[in-house]
Amino acid sequence: MKRSYIPVALLLAVLMLNIIFTQYMVHQYFYEHYTKTIIAAIINVILFPIAFLIYKKGVNVND
Amino acid sequence: MSDKNNKIPFNEDNYTHNINRNNERKLDRRGFMKTLVGAAGVFAVSSLPWGVLAAKELNGLGDKKYPKQKITDVSALPIGDAVDFSFPGEHDSAILIRLSEKKYVAYQNACTHLRCPVFWQKEEQEMLCPCHHGKFDVETGAPIAGPPRRPLPEIHVRVENGAVFAVGVKRYEA
Repeated sequence: MKRSYIPVALLLAVLMLNIIFTQYMVHQYFYEHYTKTIIAAIINVILFPIAFLIYKKGVNVND
Repeated sequence: MSDKNNKIPFNEDNYTHNINRNNERKLDRRGFMKTLVGAAGVFAVSSLPWGVLAAKELNGLGDKKYPKQKITDVSALPIGDAVDFSFPGEHDSAILIRLSEKKYVAYQNACTHLRCPVFWQKEEQEMLCPCHHGKFDVETGAPIAGPPRRPLPEIHVRVENGAVFAVGVKRYEA
């Protein structure tokens, strides 16, 4: 029944990055820096599979 | 007597079985992680439209030409007065201000803070957003007070045959 809270912390970090990049993306869009907007959007999308992998690993270790 | 307690651990999902409160273990560690992954998914999906819009802008939407549109007659607008109009679209409200005999300025009048309408204040010679007291310089559209950080997008105007026309939108640099 030992559980690790490292995946939880990692997921929280991912979510923090999500918030940061979303804010950055919206601001860069209105500043008309469109390349930066696209980069931030791509990072946001990539963060989802990362979060999923962290979840998978975190669950498998403890089952 | 049931054989429930003869097996250790007996077949029950709730291993903290001495706790009997409702929903005590509903949000456990795994449930919390699932929520976080779901939130990451929501962020990812909601980023997509911004990326698409930005890509569209990069592909030349920014240089879009608009048909010129009459705003008002010169005789109908005394020096120092302002008139509201819509340009380039029906829902893009804008404001035209006559500063002197020949000088006209026009801006998109949605405040760059939270998009409240911006009004022209003749006495103070500045543009005021009454929602949070954002102020803009009438000459450049740059923010001079209050929460807005970005300038108002400028609209190019031209005077022809005694009437003022809106001819284009300046994509502002920030």
